[in-house]
Amino acid sequence: MTAATRVSSATPRRPGADRPGLSTLRLLRLELRHNAMAWLLPVVFVLFWLVTYRKTMAMPPLWNVRAAGLQVGVAADFSVPVTGAAAWMGSREARRRVTDQVTITARSRWARLLVAWAATAIWAMLAYLGCLAVLYGVTAHQATWGGPLWWPAAVAAASVLVFCALGFVVGAFLPSRFTAPLVAIAVFFVLALSTEPIHGGHSVFQVSPIVTGPWDLGAQPGVATFYPFQPDLSVAQVMFLAGLSVALLGVLALPAGSAGRAMRAVAAGCAIAGLLAAGTAVGLTGTGTMDAAGMIDIPALHDAATGRPLEFTPVCSRTVIPVCLNPAYATYLPATASALAPLLSELAGLPGAPARIDQEPVAYKQGADNSVAFLLHEPAVSGTPPAFGLVLPVQLGYPAMTAAQQANQVVTTYGPDLVADVIGDGHGATQAQNAVATGLMIAAGLRRLDTYYVPSAQPASARPLPATPGGPDPGRSPGVAPGTPAYDAAERFAALPPAARHAWLVRNLAALRAGRLTLAQLP
Amino acid sequence: MNVEITSLTRRFGSVAAVAGVDLRLGPGVFGLLGPNGAGKTSLLRMMATAMPPSSGSLRLLGRDPGGYGPRCEIRRRLGYLPQNPGYYPGFTVAEYVEYFALLKEVPPARIRAAVATAVDRVALGDRKKARLRTLSGGMLRRASIAQAIVNEPDLLLLDEPTAGLDPEQRVAFRALLRDLGQRATVVVSTHLVEDVAAACAQVALMDRGKVVFAGTPESLAAQGDGHGAGDTPLERGYTAVLAQARS
Repeated sequence: MTAATRVSSATPRRPGADRPGLSTLRLLRLELRHNAMAWLLPVVFVLFWLVTYRKTMAMPPLWNVRAAGLQVGVAADFSVPVTGAAAWMGSREARRRVTDQVTITARSRWARLLVAWAATAIWAMLAYLGCLAVLYGVTAHQATWGGPLWWPAAVAAASVLVFCALGFVVGAFLPSRFTAPLVAIAVFFVLALSTEPIHGGHSVFQVSPIVTGPWDLGAQPGVATFYPFQPDLSVAQVMFLAGLSVALLGVLALPAGSAGRAMRAVAAGCAIAGLLAAGTAVGLTGTGTMDAAGMIDIPALHDAATGRPLEFTPVCSRTVIPVCLNPAYATYLPATASALAPLLSELAGLPGAPARIDQEPVAYKQGADNSVAFLLHEPAVSGTPPAFGLVLPVQLGYPAMTAAQQANQVVTTYGPDLVADVIGDGHGATQAQNAVATGLMIAAGLRRLDTYYVPSAQPASARPLPATPGGPDPGRSPGVAPGTPAYDAAERFAALPPAARHAWLVRNLAALRAGRLTLAQLP
Repeated sequence: MNVEITSLTRRFGSVAAVAGVDLRLGPGVFGLLGPNGAGKTSLLRMMATAMPPSSGSLRLLGRDPGGYGPRCEIRRRLGYLPQNPGYYPGFTVAEYVEYFALLKEVPPARIRAAVATAVDRVALGDRKKARLRTLSGGMLRRASIAQAIVNEPDLLLLDEPTAGLDPEQRVAFRALLRDLGQRATVVVSTHLVEDVAAACAQVALMDRGKVVFAGTPESLAAQGDGHGAGDTPLERGYTAVLAQARS
């Protein structure tokens, strides 16, 4: 040590002239350089890749699905590392026994802690933004229509901030080397259990950041493609999480000596305002119910204008009867059109045949507890020009299927309906109608007869789809069985040359639909 | 006077760690001697504004630290080295000192020079980029002294500053103390009477929370003439005054 060097003698300093903003930035730079969250970034990225990215990428490239996957995944993946790192940083002064040294400095405790929290939050947010950029970037590359949904992304960001604030505050008030792991585990379990009390609509627990819509419905591919994304629940969640974060950070300044009287008053105001915002959000969430478009509708936050269907130009196939899908589902078009093409070729040009096949939206209805019913329109040719509506299995949230499996499912579900609607098959139909309908199905090579079911005459304008993809629809009656005269007639009809079959149908379809033909009159 | 203390008391439950201390200190190096549990650290912590007194009056640098605003003013001109200073192992020496310079609101334009000067004064200039976890105990103590003096304090409070320093460093540190004492009030709490003899112009001896002697080191040494036990005159004075206070 040397006594020879000396700096100029101290003079009274005016803090306002010392550019405190610059000092704060330099302090922030130091905190960023030595922040526990930075060391946990690899853990966060690995968790995100293992838990969220792979799972979300396996879902259809629809913005709503990917955004919901991001929101839930980030909340789950980031909860433990971010809360733990924040608690570690919050307890740092006591753990490292520098409390006396930092307490006697001019910068207030609140300001000092906020800088350390900000550094932790910045690292966590950078990690989140990286994950968001990758997931949304890939989705933008894959999606055929629509754009990023930012409200779910905002909920995920607010989740990261609240984990950061919660961990930091607990660490600051209960400093111990065990605080970080304990609070991280506790937050994870609280998050995981936060949805347990949800039973149908009107649940305040829907405010949990791992809820993206009606609980148990999951990320629905059929949502937010025909109708705009409703941000009601996301707005309430952001309000809740941001309010909680602000309240927690305000609480940091409440202990005596943490800041000046004015600053403590500001902090107390922040804490109260934050709690009020969070409480209001919880209350608003309790008024939320699922609407017919499958999204949570909170009356106080709802914009009626967003309830109108989205306008879009469908993408259509070049089949004899065009198959037209919502552009968001364009990736399913080739397989769907290809699977339907043989049947459409049989029906094209017949009186009563549809001019096009149109994809339709699904309507949702909240059932008891958390069950949700999918309401589908009765498949029928209607409108001008006549169109036949169908719903892709992906809209119903069935387990992940390839495009070919989806197409097969569409044909299995709608092929009989389409044929029956043109031929006049169904309950009360004549054996000739049954035989012709079955013959057309055989000729189109779509289905085996023993799994073919003719449509029921269920009067409801809407009905639920089979619980199992490909399974029998309980609303349909069995068709012709092998070994019966109708079956033999169906096979004879299917064996006709396509042109002859088509010409016979053009001549006789009216009489067939009217039930005036018998099996004996079939070719 | 930079330090004006009147009837200062600090109680922990029924125990009075500091019991009615009166002190007035101007610029210079002031030694605070006393046995373990005498109340030196409690007195120093109150002077450092780390702990409020239970009763009595305390004015530091002409201000009452009871109010938040004046306390901040005092803290801006205060340096404090606790008995067991903590540190952040991942910080380098320079970062550690810069961190405290920022907390002490040293003007940003002066921070670089202030950090370099403080690090040089404790002879750690060649290790300023070393992480604290790699330093020896003595080096850590010097880094902690550097953080205490980085804001060129007008009131510097050092609790056992020479603990862990080797003899060469201790000699250099005493020179530093004398240099700092030319402008500021430096209060050194120590068990080592040779530090007091070498660096302090004034000394106080505490026992059971009270100041039982205040004066120059020479007058303390004179108290031991023919009475106290010890190898040096100051040690004999120290033991004699303590024995007299306890009798």
